[in-house]
Amino acid sequence: MSASPANSMARNLRIAGTLLLLGLLVTIVSLIWKSPLSFLMFAGIGGLLVLLGVALYLFSLASIASESP
Amino acid sequence: MTLPGPETLLFAALITAVVLIAIVVVRPSLTATRGGKIFAFVAFFLLPVLCVFAAGSQHIENSKQTTFCISCHVMGPYGRSLYVDDPQYIPAAHFQNHRVPADEACYTCHTDYALYGGIQAKIRGLHHIYVQYLGTPPQPDQIKLYVPYNNRECLHCHLGARSFMSNAIHMAIMDSLKSNEMSCVTSGCHDTIHNIDSLGKVKFWSPAQ
Repeated sequence: MSASPANSMARNLRIAGTLLLLGLLVTIVSLIWKSPLSFLMFAGIGGLLVLLGVALYLFSLASIASESP
Repeated sequence: MTLPGPETLLFAALITAVVLIAIVVVRPSLTATRGGKIFAFVAFFLLPVLCVFAAGSQHIENSKQTTFCISCHVMGPYGRSLYVDDPQYIPAAHFQNHRVPADEACYTCHTDYALYGGIQAKIRGLHHIYVQYLGTPPQPDQIKLYVPYNNRECLHCHLGARSFMSNAIHMAIMDSLKSNEMSCVTSGCHDTIHNIDSLGKVKFWSPAQ
């Protein structure tokens, strides 16, 4: 049995939101802790998590749009 | 009343984004309405993308700080050389007399004042981070510039300055300076630079004095 579009969207929003929250929190920490390692932390973890979260959100929007009659 | 600085605005935007995203994560049913969809678009797309670009820009600003450059152990002696109590030491004289911004001293002299020079400086900086954390950092006295120091970086500030232009020697050799045929720092004129080998024999200036 497949999940309804509304449930699927809610699940994707939760996952995307969690990725975004983690990414933004890492970004905040990297900005408070000013060192060369903090830049790597931002670029390698924070920025990547945010981009993944945004991509998943846009993907879920596109999926819903394609399923609509 | 003073306006908040860019870093304060960035933190405000980050915290706002975190709060808005948390609301949608807790209550995804909010997005069922048209207003909720716009709310989610702002929280999940506009604000995070804006925050990431602004944070990247802030990290680039932070990386220009003198404290940032000398935070790596290997750069420690170069940082100490800025406090040598001897005006013959060119970096020290510039740093202590604020001929360069003291909080961006390394970047001001070591960036390239050319098209895309700032980008090249950042690429070199990333290479330094790679060597520091994933490679084998050299000993401080083994550190060399990638290319000989370009007079362009000196002339960026000094060209046109009264004290520089009124010096007869400078005027006589101006073409050689502009073409790098003669170096400001290695042709016997201003050749006491960081000289970290001699730091054990010199006096240091303390800003608290």
